[in-house]
Formats: sequence, C-alpha cells, structure tokens
Amino acid sequence: MDLYKLSFNNIRRKKLRSALTMLGIIIGVATIVVLLGVTAGATSAVKDETNQYMYDVIISPASTSGSYLMDAEMVSKVENLPVLHSLREETIFSDNIAGNRVNFQGINDWKQVKLKNGTPGVVINQAVADKLGYSIGNKIKIKNQELTITGISKEEEQPLYIYINQDIAKQITDNKVSVIYASTNKDPKIAADEIKNQIDGISVETKSEKVAEVQEMTDQALLFMGFIASIALLVGIISVINTMLISVMERTRELGILKAIGFTNREIKGSILFESGFLGLSGGVIGVILGIAGIIVVANMLKFTEYIPEMMPLWLISGVIAGATLLSVLAGLYPAMRASKLNVVEALRNE
Amino acid sequence: MSNYIIEFKDVWKTYNMGNTEINALAGLNLTLEKGSFTAVMGPSGSGKSTFLHVAGILDTPTKGFFRINGKQASKLSVKEQAKLRRNEIGFVFQRFNLMSQLTILENLMLPMIDEDTDKAMGILDQMGLEEKYAKLPGQLSGGEQQRVAIARALINDPSIILADEPTGELDSKNANSIMQILHDLNANEGVSIVIVTHNPEAAAFTDQILQMRDGNIV
Repeated sequence: MDLYKLSFNNIRRKKLRSALTMLGIIIGVATIVVLLGVTAGATSAVKDETNQYMYDVIISPASTSGSYLMDAEMVSKVENLPVLHSLREETIFSDNIAGNRVNFQGINDWKQVKLKNGTPGVVINQAVADKLGYSIGNKIKIKNQELTITGISKEEEQPLYIYINQDIAKQITDNKVSVIYASTNKDPKIAADEIKNQIDGISVETKSEKVAEVQEMTDQALLFMGFIASIALLVGIISVINTMLISVMERTRELGILKAIGFTNREIKGSILFESGFLGLSGGVIGVILGIAGIIVVANMLKFTEYIPEMMPLWLISGVIAGATLLSVLAGLYPAMRASKLNVVEALRNE
Repeated sequence: MSNYIIEFKDVWKTYNMGNTEINALAGLNLTLEKGSFTAVMGPSGSGKSTFLHVAGILDTPTKGFFRINGKQASKLSVKEQAKLRRNEIGFVFQRFNLMSQLTILENLMLPMIDEDTDKAMGILDQMGLEEKYAKLPGQLSGGEQQRVAIARALINDPSIILADEPTGELDSKNANSIMQILHDLNANEGVSIVIVTHNPEAAAFTDQILQMRDGNIV
C-alpha cells in the first residue's frame, strides 16, 4: 500500500478542516478569476473600441488629387516605405442602389461593427434596411458582384452604409484603397513629413496620443487587479501551511510508526507534499468554477455578455489552477521537512 | 557471513541532560546468534529500550560498532537504513502502534514491499484474525491488536523481530498467548526474536534471558 492512499485517507478523515483549508484557496482563486477576468474583458472591450485609432500615421489621397481612392500603384508605393509597419488598409466607396447613394466600407476587424442581428460578412445599417427594404438573406448587386446580406448593425445614423470584408471591397474597386493606417518606429511627425516628401498626391496625418494613454491605463488596471487578487490567494496559501503544520504535529506518532516500519524520509515527505498539493488542486478547480460563475453574473449585471469569452482566457484558468497547486505544494514543504526530520523514538513516545 | 544476527562491540549512547551526562548504553558488548530467542530484562533506565532502538536502527549510538544480520547500519545512508528496517526488521511495540484509521488488512499491507493480499490474509489466519480483516484497530481487543502488530512485523519475512514490552498492556492470558505465538515463530520458522520485558512470565518463554543494568549486560 502506498502513502498516497494514506494521504487521501487523512484528507477524508479531517473533512471539516480540509474543507475549511480549501475554502481559503477557493475564495482566493475565485477572487483572482473574477477580478482578472472582468478586467481582461473590460480591457479587451476598450481595445476593440480604440483599435481603429491605434496607428501612428494615417495616409489618404490628398484633397488636391481629386479622388478619394488611391490606386494600386500608389498603395504599393506607400506600403513599400521602410519606415512603416503594421499596415491596415481600408476601402470606402459608394454606389447607386435603386437611385440611392449607398456607402460601402471595407472592414478588417468585425468587432468595430456592433451587430443587432445576424453575423459578420455583409452587414447593412438600419437606414439601408428601412429605406431600401433589405433584410438578412436578400441579395445586393454592386458592380460585378452579388452579395448576400448576413446581418444588420445597431447604429441609427442616417447615411446608408453597408459593411463588407475589406478584401471584397478592394476587389470591387480594382485594388483601390481609401486610407492606410500604419505604425512607425520613428517619431510620427518626422515620419509623416518624410512620407509626404517621398510620395506626391497623398496626405499624411498623425494621431492623437490620448488613445495610447487609455490603452496603457487599462493594461495597468489589469496589473493592479492581479496584485489585489494575489493577496487573497496568499491568505489561502498561508492557511495551507498552517493546516499542514498542525496535521504533522498531530500525526507525530503516526509518522514515527511509518518510519519504524521502514518508510523512507523521502516517501514521508512525498506523502505530505501530495496531501497539500491535492488540497491546492481541488481548491483551485472549485475556485475556478465559482470564479467563472461569478464572471457570468458580473457580465450580466454590466450588460457585457458578449465579452464573456474574453473574460475567461485560458492563461487565467490554467495559470490559476497550476499556481494554486504549486503554491500549496510549496506550503507543504516546511511541514514535510519537519515530518521527515522527526526522531523516531521521540515520535513514538508522543501521545 | 556472520553467524550472528546482532553484534554490539563497545557501544555507547550518551544523553546530555543539562550539566550531567547519562550513559543509556555504556560500552555494551553483546552477540546474539541467528535463530535465537532472547529476553532482555532489567530495571527502568537500565538501557534495555535504548539497546532495542539502536538494534532496530531507530536510534543512533554515540559511538561503537554494531551489526544487524551482518550489516553495519552506521555505514548506510538514511534511505538504506529505512530499507533495512523494512526488509529485515519487524517491530512490535508495547502500545501496538497500529494506524487507527486503516483497517486491519490495510495496516498489515502498509509496509508490504510486494502487495500480496493472499499472503497478508494467510498471516492473519495464522494469528487467528482472518475474520477481522475489515475492522479498525479500535474495534479489536488489546490482545488482538498486538497479534495484528506481530502479523505486520512478519509481513516482509524479516530476519529478526524486535519487541519492546510486547505484553506490557495485556492481561496474563493474552500475554501468554502472544508469547506462545512468538515462541512458535522462533521454533517453527527460525525467526530470531529479541524481546525487552519486565515480566518474568513472558521471559520464561525465551531461550535465554539477559539482565541489563546501567547500560550494560550483567
């Protein structure tokens, strides 16, 4: 019979104490999951809202050029500039549908478009639905393409807008692009001047720094929440140390017997580490389950449900369970050392 | 190979009690042959328990040479000492020292090197406890618990059994039955046995009685 079975036995034998010890870990882990999860979700929401402003320079055709689209040649000139990286194209054009002027916008990241109904792909706004009588499943013919409407957006503004994938927008306009967003490692203002000098007929603007500040703040919030939540877990871990120490002291005689009948110090240490690690693992798993339940409640309260997947990233779930287990094993280390260093004769005398 | 199961040459065990030193073993010289059945007697504080603890590698002497079944424990690592205890030495204690939360069978199989339920049940049968295998130690009488402890000591076929006051907590009827079991083990299976006891009746079951006083044999 191995000592791991004995460890289980010890946990079962002291149900209330094991449960209370685990409760410390459960509360710590659940707190971490809820705080970090909600913060991660909020961060992700802020990023989605601000991503369209995440660039250093924005390049568009100069108003003097007389066109609002850059042709393929111009685009490749801009995109081959060595000062630029992380380029993002956007094509916006308009076309007549049943005598109405409808704007088409190419979308790279569908999170920018808030959907009322349906799925991303070809999304019309409410104005298009009202004025042209379109709904999901209808077909729209523009130029040489036929598109099937997949969704309706939430926005209420009047201009008629249809959102389509950027690559389709580019295809329809013969590879023309309205705007190129790009990042640069140089000072954006200097880079902007350089680009204007190198290519004619374009306008280059730099963005405001406010957006970057907002994003930095949300990152800091995540860090701060993590710190607060870690304190909760720390309290749980201290209770594991406490429980294991008391358990070792109570079992002094028992540990003496184990040594007398030939168990090695290593085996005895192992069984205590196993016991504390098991408390940590169980506490971690239960804590994560409660934490996820907490996130769902909070998300519903904040009407934030679309970000629930972002609120429980895998790194958080697995990290917290692994962390709680590992820290509990570490918490068992000192009690385990004490147990293995026991003098057998004295331990057997212990009442 | 040595013919001796236990050899002690000038073994000392000294405790420091504040300013005074107490010699629990004072240059003990002792050899016990394989297959012998020995009782060690003597007043409290004569060093007989310390002798048993040192012989069972539960305690280390301050100085001196000793061998158990030809093996010099002081030259072994802590881990090898534990192994030697598990393989070669069976302990029986005055207070039984069973694990209270484990069943009789689990207690028996706890130190077992190769798990073998049939063998464990066979030894329980030999002790007349076959039907009690699923009980907890607290549900058994003192005599029965001590028989379980003897069964546990036998589980890995040790070359020696060391028993510290094995009848100390038993009435005379149970004490005699325990001593009879030990006697039969020695006579029929050739297991070397050393018991430490106050009880002359128990000692009478053995082949030789050694008297200890002030840390040595007299």
